[in-house]
Amino acid sequence: MKNFRKTLFILTAIICTALAPQAVAQSTDEDELKIAALEALMAAPPERALPIAAKVLASDNSDDVKERALFILSQIDSPEAHDILIRTAQENSGELREEAIRMIGIGGNSVALSQLVGLYENGDEEVREAVLEAYVIADDQEAVYVLAVEASKSGSEEDFESAVEMLGAMGAHEQLRRLRESTGISESLIEAYAISGDADSLRELALDGSDPELQEQAIEALGIVGGDAVNATLVEIYRNSDSEDIRESAVEGMMISGYDEGLLEIYRSSQDPVEKKELLEYLVIMGSDDVWDIIDSALDGGL
Amino acid sequence: MNDDKLTLYYYKDGLTQNERLEITNALAADAEFAARYKALCAALSQLSDAGPESIPTDMMHRFHDTIDRASNRERGSAPVKSPPMHFWSFFWGAAISAALALGIGIGVWFSGAGEVGPDSGGPYVVGVTPQVDIVPVVFQRSIQNYLRESERDITDLPLDAEADRLMLILRLIEQNRLFEKAATQNNSPDLARVLRAFEPILVRLASDDIAPEDAEALRAQLSFELNVMLTKLTRDTSDGRLSNSEST
Repeated sequence: MKNFRKTLFILTAIICTALAPQAVAQSTDEDELKIAALEALMAAPPERALPIAAKVLASDNSDDVKERALFILSQIDSPEAHDILIRTAQENSGELREEAIRMIGIGGNSVALSQLVGLYENGDEEVREAVLEAYVIADDQEAVYVLAVEASKSGSEEDFESAVEMLGAMGAHEQLRRLRESTGISESLIEAYAISGDADSLRELALDGSDPELQEQAIEALGIVGGDAVNATLVEIYRNSDSEDIRESAVEGMMISGYDEGLLEIYRSSQDPVEKKELLEYLVIMGSDDVWDIIDSALDGGL
Repeated sequence: MNDDKLTLYYYKDGLTQNERLEITNALAADAEFAARYKALCAALSQLSDAGPESIPTDMMHRFHDTIDRASNRERGSAPVKSPPMHFWSFFWGAAISAALALGIGIGVWFSGAGEVGPDSGGPYVVGVTPQVDIVPVVFQRSIQNYLRESERDITDLPLDAEADRLMLILRLIEQNRLFEKAATQNNSPDLARVLRAFEPILVRLASDDIAPEDAEALRAQLSFELNVMLTKLTRDTSDGRLSNSEST
């Protein structure tokens, strides 16, 4: 009897193994067919597409098929479709939940978007990342601002940095300036100012010597923004500062901005061989067109 | 192409949509031409910085003549139909700007920074007042063409050749940003959101340590979403659901 059971078990295992690839292949084919059908569903009027997409989501389908159904729902502007997306985000886990959150961002419905706050507060790192991404997709700058403020209050530095980074990428000047008022200046805010191209805020910080370390970062960040006005500011900072570190940051800023004309101007007006040597190194790194004339002149003994 | 046209392009004045598009494409495709435009931008930028009294008289005359000629031409010309879009001409501009963005270490998406010169609106922005709920026909055609081309590019994406894949994806990201911006400015926020949602997937797809099966899954997802959007746009256009305007 024991041997019979063992044999039966082995036979079952063999049969399962033999059939498995076929089952997988069949499942893949079925999925492909369902996905093609969902794709075609978009040609139907929304009121007909919605119940079919909802049924696909509620049935025993693979996550791939369900995720495609979620995208169809994101393209249907009706309270019912929004509700299904919210429910899917709240009641599921893993990739399906994250995809539902992404679809809420794509759908852009304000009620559905507001529901994401709860998911963010109670979610793990991946959920929080997905919510942030959804707000960026929906271009909801105010929602990201609120998340940044809350993260700052709760002392979650990582969440704060992620939200600030996103605000920078969204070009949310107003929200970033408000954040500076409410949370104070930080390295991540300076980076966000640079990414968003807020030269005015950076210029103000670059001229503020109260925290030399942040001042240096702001000067270098100005280089990322670039432009004529920024370049002029960098030269001005270089010329007016007595601090070696600040001057170095200004040069770094000019290098990042690609302002070799400014560096050349400073090089030519300088009478200090040590300073000239340092500037020449930067000009070589930048591949300035005039650098060979300068090298030629330096080799001839000219300053 | 003469400097008069480039001057008007710089000042965003006196050129038709087609002329602007032609110059944008040429700038992206021809490095020498782009360098000439950069030099002109520098000269014109200096003029505006220096104030009106420092502008040489002959240059001012030339600028006025250019404006006059352009306005005369505009008055006398009939509307011209849009030429077919040359998407591949964006390739190098796209690759270079995306590589620059990566180079300065900004590991985020959707950066609007790094645009050169005052003309940064993208080639498919049609002059429509944002408050008016109208989607211009030219934009609709452009976006449908873009979705079709992108779907083809995604399908043909070489998953085994890392460098080729990266270059193609950088180009797709750059184009995607242009069209996302164009969608926002052409009263299509829903489309802008979808295009924005494509970018993180493209970035993931560009990653060099992505497993082949994951890359395949992302490719299939993008392909599906592009096709669905294309179907939706076609449906809405044929149903007349999109209110549109022939005006450009």
